[in-house]
Amino acid sequence: MSQTVISMQKVRLDFPRRRSLKSYVLNLFQRQDNQFTALKGINLEIEKGEIIGVIGTNGCGKSTLLRVITGIYPPNEGVCRVNGNISLLAGLGTGFSGHQTGRENAILYGSILGYTEEKIIEKLPEIISFSELGEFIDEPIRTYSAGMKARLGLAVASAIQPEILLIDEVLGVGDPTFKEKSTNRIMEMVQEAGTVVIVSHSFGMLSKICDRIVLMEKGKIIQQGDPNEVIQTYYNRAKGINKEGVE
Amino acid sequence: MTKANLSDSLSVVGERSPSILAPISSIGFLYGFGFLVRNLVRREVRGRYRNTILGYAWTVIEPTLLSVVYWFLFIMLAGNPDEYYAVWVLIGVIVWACFGKSLMSSVTSLSGNTRMIHLVFFPRIIFPATAVLANIVITMMSSLVIIPIIIAYGFPIGIHLIMIPVSIFISGFMGMGLGIMFAPLNCMQKDVEHLFKFIVRAGFFVSPIMWTYEMALERGVYGDMVLWNPMVAPITMARHGLIGKWPDMPLDSIVYSIGMAMIFWIIGSIIFHRYEREAVKHL
Repeated sequence: MSQTVISMQKVRLDFPRRRSLKSYVLNLFQRQDNQFTALKGINLEIEKGEIIGVIGTNGCGKSTLLRVITGIYPPNEGVCRVNGNISLLAGLGTGFSGHQTGRENAILYGSILGYTEEKIIEKLPEIISFSELGEFIDEPIRTYSAGMKARLGLAVASAIQPEILLIDEVLGVGDPTFKEKSTNRIMEMVQEAGTVVIVSHSFGMLSKICDRIVLMEKGKIIQQGDPNEVIQTYYNRAKGINKEGVE
Repeated sequence: MTKANLSDSLSVVGERSPSILAPISSIGFLYGFGFLVRNLVRREVRGRYRNTILGYAWTVIEPTLLSVVYWFLFIMLAGNPDEYYAVWVLIGVIVWACFGKSLMSSVTSLSGNTRMIHLVFFPRIIFPATAVLANIVITMMSSLVIIPIIIAYGFPIGIHLIMIPVSIFISGFMGMGLGIMFAPLNCMQKDVEHLFKFIVRAGFFVSPIMWTYEMALERGVYGDMVLWNPMVAPITMARHGLIGKWPDMPLDSIVYSIGMAMIFWIIGSIIFHRYEREAVKHL
């Protein structure tokens, strides 16, 4: 019997608009709309073992959706429930400190991602070998290229197996060889993780691996279901929007 | 799947203890996330003097140079200070810097970590706490400057010296309590940050850094008045500890200072806990 691991019910999330002194004063006289609603009543049930893709145009609320599931933003209305430990794979290498060595940063980043001390020490050799940094691992990472940092970030981030894996556009970092390796690694994680939610624009990849795709538009889920069908809808709607724009 | 079954296995994201318990639960988080806290403090301390030749020596050089400047200034303005004046200023500068930096880094603890807040989730009290712990560590390093002073002036070495780390800790803790009250507000409007920059600068003169508690006492009524400033006690305690005596000031003023630090922490942690979640949406 299937088991629900992520359940969102009528989730609404508002972002405040940045206000100036002028708008504060105007606000005294007339009610203004100071909110931007990023998620408008999202209902989403994800079952254990599912691989879900989330697609939509930029700014439609895909990343915000993942952040609500992670707990970064509390919903203004509705609830989001989860069952299992969650890991958000986004912005690889957040919190790296340039003047510490690669090794120290691996430990630092691991602790930021929530690993225990024992776990990170245990995984360290594996992380170092996967990152292919060789002797650079004991150099300060301000000397690293962007690709090297990304490799180290991915090596650390992919060292654990969360029950629920959320991925936000991190596929394909580094040079072509590593790009392939990193994509493979993420695919490995996807296969091993219990449940996966991927936000991506690589439709080819999504249609291959996803059980279900969710299409979002302006903070709402407008369609979910068979990957190819949903991607088709996305293209149709995108064309429609373009036409409107031309006219 | 039935509704009842659903609520059994699923837990609500972001469900937390009530804000009123924050003064205690926050400390629990710091223990629970000890490994992360240690790593973040290390990052902060290492980062402070990066790309410098003198490195950590700056923790000592900075307050020393500053007190030399004030010593000159004081001779020019008032003439003939007491023989330890330069030492008093040095201690004052060190303890005040710990308070000021802890206050500022707590106020900016959310707004300055936007990227990390957007991408990972852990109890956010960890941001101000690690910044303040790093400040305390750095201030402890700069207080090593007392070793040559003790030798030069022949101050007794004894248990009284404990007052220096104690007062550094109190001032750091006080800065954090006060700072986290305004950290969520600073996410919404950066004006807060500028206001506090001014407060730290003005507080420098209102606190016994260029002057001492004893000088205020000589002015009669000012001796009682200055005791309203909770930073008077920590600075005076550190000074008295250095010359080898227990704080020579009314006990209530020390209790008042520690009490204020506790009250700041209680109010600050409740406000922080209550508002941080909505505040980060402004980032």
